[in-house]
Amino acid sequence: MSLFGLACSNFKRSVKEYASLIIALAFSVFIFFNFQNVVFSDSMDVLENFNKDYIDMIVQAASFIFGVFLFFFIWYATDVFLSQRKREIGIYTFMGLDNVRIGKMYAIEAFLIGVFSLAAGLVFGILFSKLFQMLLLRISDISVDIRFSFSLPPVLITSVIFGIIYGIMIIKGYVSIVRSSVLSMLSDAKRQEMKNENIFLTIFKVVLGLAVLGTGYVFAINTGGLQSLVYGLLAVILVVAGTYLLYGGAIPFFIRKLTENKKFLYEKERNLWVNNLAYRIRRNYRTYGIVTVLMICSVTVLATSIALKQRYEKMIHFQEHYFCQVTAMHRLDKEQIEKGISEKNQVLYGNEISLTLLNPDVFHRERGSYGIVPCSVLKEAAKEAELDFPYEDIKEDEAVYLSHVYLMSFMEFDPNTTAEIGEESYHVLAQDDTAYLGRLQESMNIYVVSDKTYEKLKTLGLECFIYGFQIAEPENAEASRAYLDTLVEKEGDSFTVGYNMFLPDRGEMAWIPIMYSLCVFMFVTLILAAGSIIFIKLNNDAYEDIERYKILKKLGVSEDVLKRAMKHEIRFTYYCPFVLMVITSYFSVRALGNVMKTELTTVNVYSAVAIILLFFFIYLVSVRAFQKKVLK
Amino acid sequence: MRKIVEVKDLVKGFGRREYETAVLKGISLDIYEKDFIAVMGPSGAGKSTLLNMLSTLDKPTRGQIILDGKDVTRADNKLLSILRRDKIGFIFQEYNLLDNMTLQDNIALPLSLNGEKSRVILEKVERMAELFGLKPHLKKYPWQLSGGQKQRGASARALITQPEIIFADEPTGALDSKSSKELLTSLRLANEEEGATILMVTHDAYTASYAKQVYMLVDGQIQSRLNSKGDRKFFYDEILQLLASMGGDRE
Ligand SMILES: Nc1ncnc2c1ncn2[C@@H]1O[C@H](COP(=O)(O)OP(=O)(O)OP(=O)(O)O)[C@@H](O)[C@H]1O
Ligand SMILES: [Mg+2]
Repeated sequence: MSLFGLACSNFKRSVKEYASLIIALAFSVFIFFNFQNVVFSDSMDVLENFNKDYIDMIVQAASFIFGVFLFFFIWYATDVFLSQRKREIGIYTFMGLDNVRIGKMYAIEAFLIGVFSLAAGLVFGILFSKLFQMLLLRISDISVDIRFSFSLPPVLITSVIFGIIYGIMIIKGYVSIVRSSVLSMLSDAKRQEMKNENIFLTIFKVVLGLAVLGTGYVFAINTGGLQSLVYGLLAVILVVAGTYLLYGGAIPFFIRKLTENKKFLYEKERNLWVNNLAYRIRRNYRTYGIVTVLMICSVTVLATSIALKQRYEKMIHFQEHYFCQVTAMHRLDKEQIEKGISEKNQVLYGNEISLTLLNPDVFHRERGSYGIVPCSVLKEAAKEAELDFPYEDIKEDEAVYLSHVYLMSFMEFDPNTTAEIGEESYHVLAQDDTAYLGRLQESMNIYVVSDKTYEKLKTLGLECFIYGFQIAEPENAEASRAYLDTLVEKEGDSFTVGYNMFLPDRGEMAWIPIMYSLCVFMFVTLILAAGSIIFIKLNNDAYEDIERYKILKKLGVSEDVLKRAMKHEIRFTYYCPFVLMVITSYFSVRALGNVMKTELTTVNVYSAVAIILLFFFIYLVSVRAFQKKVLK
Repeated sequence: MRKIVEVKDLVKGFGRREYETAVLKGISLDIYEKDFIAVMGPSGAGKSTLLNMLSTLDKPTRGQIILDGKDVTRADNKLLSILRRDKIGFIFQEYNLLDNMTLQDNIALPLSLNGEKSRVILEKVERMAELFGLKPHLKKYPWQLSGGQKQRGASARALITQPEIIFADEPTGALDSKSSKELLTSLRLANEEEGATILMVTHDAYTASYAKQVYMLVDGQIQSRLNSKGDRKFFYDEILQLLASMGGDRE
């Protein structure tokens, strides 16, 4: 039989045997394709008109995350495959095949599996693409007609990226086979890994792992300022490295110590399962590492989604706090305007704020529009507009800067900021993004100053009056336009009274809900991937365990005891990454909260609950599958 | 002397109905406390079959095996598990130590799963290690042990629960003569000092000479038996004579 023929017949057999791996690979292709497909579909075109830059940036970030995910996932899948195959393929050495040819055979076989998985993933991906998009837009609350569209770029991109990653893995496997000796190939399953390691090396690993992880956490906590990107990147690298080191050092060390404590070990079924764990964790540490990283990613992604949603709602809230603002160079009668609007609409609240416009050179700047507002006036206006105003007495040399709601910002408020206005220097107490002056705060730099200071600085500029109103049904705003038009006054070419109406138009920000629904999908994908990796691994372990459990049954250990031992062991394999994930995601979510300027602690709780429920389910399935395999 | 096992007219056949061939053709024997019996016989005589029956790993076609007053041929799986756990110890030809734990943990396994106190377990493991000369090897994993050490480890594990009876199938089958001797000496010590009851299957006269009685199984039936008069070398010669008289062309 030719090499290719041999590989083909192997492949045929492995389709059944490695079904779970093929499904896993096809699943990752499926997800990646669908994501790309959304990016290239018509539905995104509608949105891109509004905010192409943002969309490009976020799509790239998401692509990167998916890419990383794909990389780890494929790495893992092929690794399992390789070690299983090595054992079998090793037998061919007795048929006179040399390493290079065995390596080639493996490569062909792996290639066939890859092509098969890619094709399966793409076919299902294309079939389900419409459903996927519909779900996505449904969650995003966006109504766009979706046609069944098929375009080549997503297929090509998916194939190329999968091809590259999988290709690297095939080459890696090939090299590892060519390099390995026949004996090690045959005894790859032979367990040498409990070899006693140098105690100093162990301690070094333990300390290094904890230190690296800890440093990562510190960086994560300190994000929020200008260094956020650098800190964030460092935190990611350190946490990933630290997680791996932990599984390679501290955790096996700890379990090893448990097996040495006979008082603990000889209780209950521990002698069985703790020993089993100790034996496994060294060889499985990479799997645990991958699973934990995937889980942290998933929670962070979920947090991103929720943060986006929170910010989005806050932005909408900020922008729509007033349905219209009337600006006048002289005082108008607020009650009068309110009455006018009331003819067509029910007014919820309205206020009047005096604002002095100052030239940028008063602030020692070249351009931009600047203004100041007296404290007492704003306090009164805030009350009328149902807003909080927490600044009781702003002192004469103090000011509060009114900003607006950003999606995310790398600027941290520095409590030592000063504002130079005219000749004086004012201490900026706070930066406030409450919509006191509504969208005016987006286009102007406005400071709240004490009444005395206001009176003093007023002379440097031009005082005007802002009247903001909100109505019960902003959709019906147009009805009041006719009245508002009657207010407009002109003096020569310039307006002395004008108004701005803010219609509920969210098109500009429509990409945000799209993003957060994408994030929810990513969360589900990643967490399913993590669960399925543990599942595949356990299935694999079960094959190895069959002999062991046979012996135990011969010795008269009852099935109940064996089942309990199994449950403990399997539970640990799910709990351990889970606990580490809970700890790490606390920091990653906090880092995100720092950058997005929002409180996300509840995300940790919710995601932990969601994951533990899902894992509990997978755990039950695993236990059953394991028992079936091992106890027959 | 207390009777531990009573076998009555045991028959075992393999295959279906008319094609059935009887491997054991009506075996009866009694095993008493502190017995050390070796079952010998040519290959295919049914030695392993008999042992599997006695040690409850297999069920006979007909006949009774009464262990501790209970007929094990009628026992359900649960009771069998309990019997195996509490009354029977096993030594297999291929050691059957668990490769993912140390020798110490392997020996301790039956007791720790029975819920014994860890202090007691440690003491007993110590004593067994002493008996089988395994003290320096307790911290090692099975792959770090020689065949003889593994087999002695398996024997220690079998003995630690102080079972009513120990069954051993070709315990020296995979050992060289020196390791065999060490193992057999330990087993005899266990028999004499700890009062362990042992039934082992072997085709090797030297191994059999360590026992107190030798049963000769030929063609599914116990053809003859020999009792040792105390001297091992003398017993060994007696066994060889018996084998020769049976027309055996064996060593
Ligand atoms: N499961 C089975 N099905 C059919 N026949 C069997 C089965 N087990 C054993 N036999 C047959 O029963 C006979 C006795 O086998 P047994 O293994 O008991 O021999 P033995 O005395 O232990 O031989 P040896 O010294 O070679 O180990 C043999 O002829 C064997 O082929
Ligand atoms: Mg046999």
